[in-house]
Amino acid sequence: MRRPAVRLMSYGIPVLLVMVAPLLVEDRFVLKVLTFVGINALVVVGLALLFGYAGQVSLGHAGFVGLGAYTSAYATVRLGWPWLGGMAAAALVASLGGLLLALPSLRLRGHYLAMATLGFGEIMFIAFVEAESLTGGVDGFTGIQFASVAGFDFRTPAQNYWLVWGVTLLAAAVAYNIVRLRPGRAMRALHGSELGARACGVDIVRLKVQVFVLSAALAGLAGALYAHLVGFISPSIFTLHFSVILLAMTVLGGTNSIAGPVVAASLLTLLPYVDAVLPGVPESVASFLSDWETDIYGLAIIVVMLFAPGGVAGLLRRAGVRRTRVEKGREAA
Amino acid sequence: MRLLQVDSVTKRFGGLVAVDAVSFDVVEGSIKALIGPNGAGKSTLFNVLTAYERPDEGTTLFDGQDLSGIGPHRIVRLGVARTFQNTQLFEEMSALENVLVGRHPLTRTGMLSAALRLPGTVAEERASREEAERLLRLVGLEDHADALAADLPHGLRRALEIARALATGPRLLLLDEPAAGLNTAETSALAEVLYRIRDMGVTLVVVEHDMGLVMEISDEIVVLNEGRKIAEGPPRLIQKDPAVIEAYLGEPEYE
Amino acid sequence: MELSELLQFAVAGLKNGSVYALVALGFTIVFASTGVINFAQGEFYMLGGMLSVFALQALGFPLVLAVVAGVLATTAIGVVFELLAIRPRKDGDPLALIIITVGGSILLQSLTRHALGPDELPFPAFTPGPSILVAGAAIERQTLWMWALTAAAVVALTVLYRRTAFGKAMRACAIDRDGARLMGVDTRMMVTASFGLAAMLGALAGIATTPLTQTAFNVGARVGLKGFAAAILGGLGNPVGAVIGGLLLGLIESLSVAFLSSTYKDVIALVVLLLVLFVRPQGILGRREREKV
Repeated sequence: MRRPAVRLMSYGIPVLLVMVAPLLVEDRFVLKVLTFVGINALVVVGLALLFGYAGQVSLGHAGFVGLGAYTSAYATVRLGWPWLGGMAAAALVASLGGLLLALPSLRLRGHYLAMATLGFGEIMFIAFVEAESLTGGVDGFTGIQFASVAGFDFRTPAQNYWLVWGVTLLAAAVAYNIVRLRPGRAMRALHGSELGARACGVDIVRLKVQVFVLSAALAGLAGALYAHLVGFISPSIFTLHFSVILLAMTVLGGTNSIAGPVVAASLLTLLPYVDAVLPGVPESVASFLSDWETDIYGLAIIVVMLFAPGGVAGLLRRAGVRRTRVEKGREAA
Repeated sequence: MRLLQVDSVTKRFGGLVAVDAVSFDVVEGSIKALIGPNGAGKSTLFNVLTAYERPDEGTTLFDGQDLSGIGPHRIVRLGVARTFQNTQLFEEMSALENVLVGRHPLTRTGMLSAALRLPGTVAEERASREEAERLLRLVGLEDHADALAADLPHGLRRALEIARALATGPRLLLLDEPAAGLNTAETSALAEVLYRIRDMGVTLVVVEHDMGLVMEISDEIVVLNEGRKIAEGPPRLIQKDPAVIEAYLGEPEYE
Repeated sequence: MELSELLQFAVAGLKNGSVYALVALGFTIVFASTGVINFAQGEFYMLGGMLSVFALQALGFPLVLAVVAGVLATTAIGVVFELLAIRPRKDGDPLALIIITVGGSILLQSLTRHALGPDELPFPAFTPGPSILVAGAAIERQTLWMWALTAAAVVALTVLYRRTAFGKAMRACAIDRDGARLMGVDTRMMVTASFGLAAMLGALAGIATTPLTQTAFNVGARVGLKGFAAAILGGLGNPVGAVIGGLLLGLIESLSVAFLSSTYKDVIALVVLLLVLFVRPQGILGRREREKV
């Protein structure tokens, strides 16, 4: 049948391109930028599930990213744990943080959740600054080693690129599976009509908590990957601004889609580096975009929510370019 | 066998007594209608029966089990399903997907098994799809399986919500004004569907204004007025009950 | 601790509290008429200060005029924001509107940075002169101005709500929008007016504080969050609650600095926010929301 082949191509080709990029790109700087793209994309996979499918707004996900980063840094540098241990600890601590926040918050109505996550994000930021003995405070946490598995160190930009994108693509595949099956339907039902979802036996609160914790875990993993990639973290990264940017990427990418927010995150992360990535683009364009980045995000959020609340993915759905979810679902059976 | 036993259920809102010590039983396998003029307390009683409201007094027993304190999503797992007066469909999902969500309480795939696409999960998904397609055929929606719920005309939306409620595998199905907004042909089709559901072994409780439909399909009718039950019995007796007639005097004729 | 020290902390608490009260009023007024949490409320606070400084420094206005101009300009921005970004989606999902206000917030912040620069900017005290001593506690003159303006705002709002037809229409809108519409109230105008009013109150708080704290393009976020915590504490949607919540939050903050430590000062408001949300989301004066089936 044609359909499985088409599906394989429309997802397979981008995945292939992503994985061979280090062989095609020689510029170390560009490769590093593309690796950062992967880190943002990882967080956004979680946010796509939380917001794009389950319809929950988080304005504090930078807090989970930071939690994962500092946990892994502390575990590997201060406690001498191996890198994998640091990763596991990061995911675990971020999940716990997500659980502690979600359990009381998710009984509340939607707008209250948004503000609770905002409060959480800000508390985490202050904690990162003030808990100097654990985090190094404003001066940051230095000396974080490269990722390392069984003696093999991920030292070169290409190796780190593959590591990060490997994790991100895996997360996207997992999210994709979740979405096409029962839990994903329950999430979309929750987003569509809470009353209706309850009438179908969906435990709303439990579902929201699960999605929230999953998205927190992914954010924590991303933070840990970042820490080992750069070797140095400081609180100034994990700000409300970053949380808003992450949400913006998800909103722009669109609802009911994993690929949409990932693509949006990728393109938007690359914006300030457009002169390095695309030959022939003058540096002035890049610095202009960098300087006006926040304005662009703010305006884009407003415009999208006013005119195309389904985001880019929603627009593509309407244009019929994407095949329907039912068809994709039939392939799953 | 009495599947549903409503015993002296009372519900107050502030100073207003919306439902006043209402009692009745529903025999398994029958169709029971709940009627009454506007403001009689039907919706409130309905919400109590479906666990969206807690009664201030009285109990509701389903198959001998007390339903107090059980939330709406748990009541579904016990075998009690409902539809809504304002259909609560998942607008951005297709008809098939809407019914698939209804399969939620009968299936088990969680986050982890879905994430890993375990073989049991795939089999469960296939079974769910087959069941969902069967239910769409039951209510006459098989040609609209891929249509978005938001794009369906009113009559079909109600049918979809019924199919979705049936997907939960209920023993008791409570319908909130299923005929509202339907024309004569659609109402007849609805009656057919309700008979099919009853023949499947599902007990029905229907809140309804459409007297024609009520008289035709009900085995028994409970009449409420101003929160109190004023009559209960088979249609031909209710039609002649003076208290019922008086309650409806002055009410505009319902088609 | 000496009484004069305690009093000093109380003064500081009430000073900050009056700021929180005004910002909280802004949140509450918008929430009452639209059900939306206006994330950009903190930016109205920021704009009040920044635009008044601009009027004073760049346009050479005399002080009083600069203050008035700054407040009015911010009010206008609030109204324009509502007309362009909120009204088109007014009957939509409240969550979508929150996201729109988030976008509006970062947009306003960033545009201000482009227009007026990233630096901290000063503004002279409304009336120069030394602090006033009361029972051993020093109260700055600007603090008196802040209290006076807050009190004036509260009185004006009370008169507006209770004595004018406009105010009554706003209250009707807050209680039951559809009912108000049936009674002939132009609900869309009420929403616009709410935003304008919220912007005015936020701006007032902003310019009243600037002589003491300076202003900059990014001061809105922190104050906005604290003002929101105050609004939630007092009961979102209840104006009296907003004022009480604001003053109370200021005092709690100040007293915890006095008795605990100053390091975690900014955390107090956030902790209060989370505690209230988790334990009693309707706040001190609010009523529990019931879901209608």
